[in-house]
Amino acid sequence: MRIGEVIETSTVGFWAESERLHQLPPLGALVAVALPDGATLYGVVAFGQTAGVDAGRRAVRRGTDQVFDGAIYDQHPELLRILRTTFQAITVGYAGPDGRARHHLPPWPPPLHYSVQECDRATVAAFTEAPGYFAILAASEGEVAAEQLLAAHIRCVYDRRGRDTAWLNAAGQQVARLLKRDYDRLLTVLEAIDPGVEKYEVQSTKYELGGAANGSGGENGRAGKNGYGDVPF
Amino acid sequence: MVGMNGESGSPHRWGAGGGAPQLGVVIGGSFKNGLTVRLDTARSVEAIQVGNFVVVEGDENRYFSTIADLELQLTDSALAADPPPISSSFLRAALAGTHTYATAEVRPSLMLEGTDDLVAGGGPKPVRTIPMHFAILREAAGEDFDVVFGAEGDGKFALGSPLTMDHPIPLDLARFVERSNGVFGQSGTGKSVLTRLLLCGVIKSERASALVFDMHSEYAWQKEGEGGSRLRGLRELFGSRVAVYSLDARDQGRQALDGTLQIGLNQIEPGDVELLADELNLTPTFAATSFSLQQRFQERWIERLLAMDGDAVKDFCAQSGANQGAVDALKQKLNLLTNLPYIVPNQGTSVIDEIVLRLQRKGHVVLQFGRHSRLLDYMLVANILTRRIHRAYTDQVLKYDQSGDAADRPHPLTIVLEEAHKFLSPAVARQTIFGTIAREMRKYSVTLLVVDQRPSGIDAEVMSQLGTKITGLLTEEHDIDAVLTGVAGRSHLRGVLASLETKQQCLVLGHAIPMPMVLRTRAYDEAFFAAMGGRAKPATPAERDAQKRAALADIYGEE
Ligand SMILES: Nc1ncnc2c1ncn2[C@@H]1O[C@H](COP(=O)(O)OP(=O)(O)OP(=O)(O)O)[C@@H](O)[C@H]1O
Ligand SMILES: [Mg+2]
Repeated sequence: MRIGEVIETSTVGFWAESERLHQLPPLGALVAVALPDGATLYGVVAFGQTAGVDAGRRAVRRGTDQVFDGAIYDQHPELLRILRTTFQAITVGYAGPDGRARHHLPPWPPPLHYSVQECDRATVAAFTEAPGYFAILAASEGEVAAEQLLAAHIRCVYDRRGRDTAWLNAAGQQVARLLKRDYDRLLTVLEAIDPGVEKYEVQSTKYELGGAANGSGGENGRAGKNGYGDVPF
Repeated sequence: MVGMNGESGSPHRWGAGGGAPQLGVVIGGSFKNGLTVRLDTARSVEAIQVGNFVVVEGDENRYFSTIADLELQLTDSALAADPPPISSSFLRAALAGTHTYATAEVRPSLMLEGTDDLVAGGGPKPVRTIPMHFAILREAAGEDFDVVFGAEGDGKFALGSPLTMDHPIPLDLARFVERSNGVFGQSGTGKSVLTRLLLCGVIKSERASALVFDMHSEYAWQKEGEGGSRLRGLRELFGSRVAVYSLDARDQGRQALDGTLQIGLNQIEPGDVELLADELNLTPTFAATSFSLQQRFQERWIERLLAMDGDAVKDFCAQSGANQGAVDALKQKLNLLTNLPYIVPNQGTSVIDEIVLRLQRKGHVVLQFGRHSRLLDYMLVANILTRRIHRAYTDQVLKYDQSGDAADRPHPLTIVLEEAHKFLSPAVARQTIFGTIAREMRKYSVTLLVVDQRPSGIDAEVMSQLGTKITGLLTEEHDIDAVLTGVAGRSHLRGVLASLETKQQCLVLGHAIPMPMVLRTRAYDEAFFAAMGGRAKPATPAERDAQKRAALADIYGEE
């Protein structure tokens, strides 16, 4: 399902703008861009942001005692035009037209303005079968610390794979291998993905902005599922 | 799931050799100190035990080896200071292999050149090289044991099986009886049972005769084992081939004995008394005194000494220059001997000769001590009898050397000696007949089977002469040292020895086995008796009489 459009692109990753305000794949989710030659490029969501369309201007406070939170959007429909949600993905591999996953960088960046898709379960399962691409995430130097990104990604995939414990154990070992020179960072990741730890149960982060209060569904599309609604993230 | 990294898949990877599970890969080592093997994380270290027989598959050779040590490794010392929460099995699993792993120290003992054909190619040889990095370590399979130890069969007596699997590990009996041997272990580790097993092997194969000095009357007839098990005696298993004598005339009524042994004072020599110095609490001058008495009165020296009154003692001292106090003291101490029921003033050598004759004719003898099972009785009698045997066998060898007639060749004899340190301690080993036998009687076809719980009490030279040593658990440092002196790879065997279970496990090393091996001792049970061709039920008194007649007929011919 199309969730965004590539608005900035490079060999190591790309930025996309969400189809709808505040509707973006969760941190660590696997996304794909279908390339013109029939291949598919895969990225992991590494950062997300909602800000004014005009980069120079900051948002201002809109809430009052009576109107706040979701209701603000009902009061100010123009916000949907002046705000936008963008997210960054790190490229972690691609699949040729034959469908075989490759865990290294593709020869070219994805074309600008192409669609960014969320991946279905089967695609996630196929691409994540082996953890070779973890190395790319572990080496990333974005806004989000690499260990946070890795942990988020592993939790995401673990769930999409239907709580595949064998996969999680193997993933843990792969992380241990990658971070073997830094025990503290390693422990941060492992503790964050430990299925035995209660805090792990992250609840759904599905946004229902505006309209939610009266249950009307509000502006078109906004009440729609973000594509991850069936995932408890 | 499909394995992500090769290790998290199926827990066993199957190596090339014999389909035995792979344990790890060689990552370092030296010829001198053995190989270091990084163990696969997929298997728990706890599945591997020190002392296990394992195989390293090199490019060119197959190395038969022993696990000498196991070690836990950390790649990051931070982990030691700040271990992951104990509760998290996930964390532990994730760290296994990258941060935590185990290595084994592996000692190759023998190698087989060319890994393809196991049986051809001359069999295993001592190791002269080591395999390269990443050679695979795997568990030993049945065929590996057969290649190294040979299959059970003629002249090969299965003494037990390796700890890891049920597979008979045979001892080479021909080599076993060639030299003196030792059975060691703490009290209750099964030395006497092990000795009985060995004797069964020797008797059944007819490689040698056996003479057992049976201090606790446990070898001939059924004895209650621990936990009520019944341990058959040698007489029950082998019938008249095993003759039983006792020092205690009262045994005769209880069991069908082949004879009762009495000792004449005339048969006791100063050397015998010397051995009893501790038991009789003799002063150091006794040796000189008894020798001068013997010089004077020959074999009747004790009798004459005991008959002396004060004047006679004075006369003797005046003539021989002996110290009067010493003579008096010796007289007083030796007087104790006359109180022993089996001691008579004068005794021809008839029963002793009968025993020697049986042994020379390939028979076997168990000498029980009955009530007279104090060390004093045991040492005195064993020494006297063995002196006689020594003489007989040296004579026989001389005869054989002259005649060259095969019929004159002495049949090998092995003498079982429990509490051996009493006869072979450094203080007495040089003088007693047992010391002589241990050192040189191999040439005269007489060897010892030394059974002892305190090997450190045995003279080092005697220990070094032992061909095959079989030892149960030993915990005292001295004892372990004593058993392992002169053995290659001693440091690792030390760990193996101290880790044996308290019963029915033993380490076998030496002449009769190609490489040191830890065994689960074969059970001495009904199945074993059946294998030895024993009868299902103990003999009835009538059968015993018949056996006895047959045995006598064996020796003296039919009347
Ligand atoms: N191979 C075996 N098969 C069956 N039972 C065994 C075996 N080994 C040991 N046992 C049991 O262990 C008990 C003790 O063994 P054994 O009498 O041989 O010990 P030991 O080492 O001679 O002790 P000690 O030093 O006191 O003479 C036996 O009575 C028997 O029940
Ligand atoms: Mg015993």
